[in-house]
Amino acid sequence: MSDLANRKPLPLALLSAVFVLCWLVIAAFPFLWTMWGSFKVEGDFFSRADWMNAITGPVTERQYGSPFTLAGYEGAWVQQEFWRAVVNTAIVTVFVVLISLTLGTLGGYALARSGFRYTFWLLMAALVFRAMPHVTLVSGYLLPFFQLNVWGYLPTTIIVLVAINQPFTLWMLHSFFLSIPKDLDEAAMVDGCTRFQAFRLAIIPVMWPGVVTTGLFSFLLAYNDFTVTSMLLSQENATMIPKINSFLGSTQEEGKVMYAVAAVVSAIVPLFVLILFFQRQIVSGLTAGAVKG
Amino acid sequence: MARLQLKNVNKRWGSFVGVDNFDLDIADQEFLVLLGPSGCGKSTTMRMIAGLEDVTDGEIWLGDRMVNDLEPKDRDISMVFQSYGLYPNLSVYENIRFPLRVRKVPKEKHHEMVMKAVEMVELADFMDRRPAELSGGQRQRVALGRAIVRKPTVFLMDEPLSNLDAKLRVSTRAQIKNLQSKLKTTTVYVTHDQIEAMTLADRVVVMNRGRIQQVGTPTEIYDWPANTFVASFIGSPAMNLVEGRLDGGTFTGDGIRVEGLPTATSGKVTLGFRAEDAEIVPEGGEIAAPMYSIELLGEASMITWRLGGALVSVKTAKDFRAEIGDTVRARIPARICHLFDTATGQRIDTK
Ligand SMILES: Nc1ncnc2c1ncn2[C@@H]1O[C@H](COP(=O)(O)OP(=O)(O)OP(=O)(O)O)[C@@H](O)[C@H]1O
Ligand SMILES: [Mg+2]
Repeated sequence: MSDLANRKPLPLALLSAVFVLCWLVIAAFPFLWTMWGSFKVEGDFFSRADWMNAITGPVTERQYGSPFTLAGYEGAWVQQEFWRAVVNTAIVTVFVVLISLTLGTLGGYALARSGFRYTFWLLMAALVFRAMPHVTLVSGYLLPFFQLNVWGYLPTTIIVLVAINQPFTLWMLHSFFLSIPKDLDEAAMVDGCTRFQAFRLAIIPVMWPGVVTTGLFSFLLAYNDFTVTSMLLSQENATMIPKINSFLGSTQEEGKVMYAVAAVVSAIVPLFVLILFFQRQIVSGLTAGAVKG
Repeated sequence: MARLQLKNVNKRWGSFVGVDNFDLDIADQEFLVLLGPSGCGKSTTMRMIAGLEDVTDGEIWLGDRMVNDLEPKDRDISMVFQSYGLYPNLSVYENIRFPLRVRKVPKEKHHEMVMKAVEMVELADFMDRRPAELSGGQRQRVALGRAIVRKPTVFLMDEPLSNLDAKLRVSTRAQIKNLQSKLKTTTVYVTHDQIEAMTLADRVVVMNRGRIQQVGTPTEIYDWPANTFVASFIGSPAMNLVEGRLDGGTFTGDGIRVEGLPTATSGKVTLGFRAEDAEIVPEGGEIAAPMYSIELLGEASMITWRLGGALVSVKTAKDFRAEIGDTVRARIPARICHLFDTATGQRIDTK
């Protein structure tokens, strides 16, 4: 029966299929182009003679005997030690997400359940900090960090990123907690829980979509950040994005641009995996919010 | 199982008084109903007993313990919430088991206890479902099951039937009454539905604006309302109330005159009587006034007059016919009348 109800007239179905296909091509093209090109040499990918060279790769063939080469990847990962940047990024993102979520769930819950009026002003202040350009905060941090001799280290960056991210997680989780009826905590407390047990046993289990969605946004902020990481990290502690930027900055040397291209592709892949993996939670977290008893 | 005492309990938010000097002694095993219009402080009173709301002033005693400063979990009560408060991520079985889990009841006893509760609320067929997959009435029974799975000292129920349809309400009501008489646990039940209050309660507490208006058995409250608020709140239709003057045992109002009232007071009073106690008569009678409306109720007809601004109704046989505006007469014998002081609203005792 539902098949019948869902059946669309043929032209409409065709039209929407074509539209989605076009959209997919437009959206995916830059990525596919970069990915394909990352297996070529600079002479092909940035060819002045013929743009088709980027697809067929004659220069690559001449140099390596095959239209595909891992030279870009090898240069980036082995020669330039891109793996270090990957490890640094992993450390930064994991800690930023963990710390943001811990503080955000506890703080958001407390704010959502507190009857006092200061919560509104706290959240407003948080919004103001969130609205500021990151660079204004960072430029303020630089001098004290130099003087305290904590500049260049990962923990410093993690703390700054958490500080920048916290207002957002607080807002997001606060509104999630608001959408969970107070009766749920109260029922748990009457059933024998302490306040914290009620939070852990009754609230957190229904909060997962919200936590996952917020965690993902925190992850993206830490993963994609350039302003903070490029200004606060020393060369050996650099994360992926500043590292890629430094590859792009040194174009004098032949082939180094291809390191950047390979590194970009390496940096994108985890994002795809992540989004594919969490897509259900993200969608339900973004749309539902409310928990029906 | 315990006696529950509220000693001059007050709840204030700033200058707003939510509950005003609530003083009540609830006996062990009693079924007490808090009845009152919306916003009169019923839930607040109940939440103070549960420990979900701080007491501004006064003391709450459970058995021989003063519980004012105890956490909800240490008061050993269980509560049914108006909106159920079920855990959406847990199955019916796990919902009912939750109190046992957090109260560290030995694991091997869980299954037996849960099954006993599940049977009492007749949910055996739904044990593996999530709350979202249940109807309102079934959810209600899960909440009840969760409350009775262990033996608390007191049950608190906050309008547990308000989300059910009329038919389910009647059957669940009977179920609750039956459960309570089996379990013999002191119960405080909040409702704004007087029929629920009348059918369930050992004693009813009528509240208005945070104050207790009257405490008594359902019969007492119905037959001897302590003031005009209770008179106008209890019964459907509510008691007729007409303002007028009392002089030497004779009450005179607009279109109504009742003689032989057994009282010595005189002055401005309000006379009350119930629609079903009076009768329509062809001649004589205490009311003689143009009819304001006639309503057919099915098993009877309701005749209404407009006397001095108040609507006054009397029930009569269903085949009674009259046109609006015709003079209709009714007999109001003195023995069915209640007298209230118009200024204070308090009952004037006629005995
Ligand atoms: N947190 C609060 N702050 C201020 N006033 C409150 C608060 N909670 C309740 N009140 C007020 O206290 C009064 C009593 O509320 P309560 O919830 O006890 O009413 P109720 O008798 O249960 O009504 P209902 O039948 O509608 O549930 C209401 O007037 C309400 O506005
Ligand atoms: Mg209420």
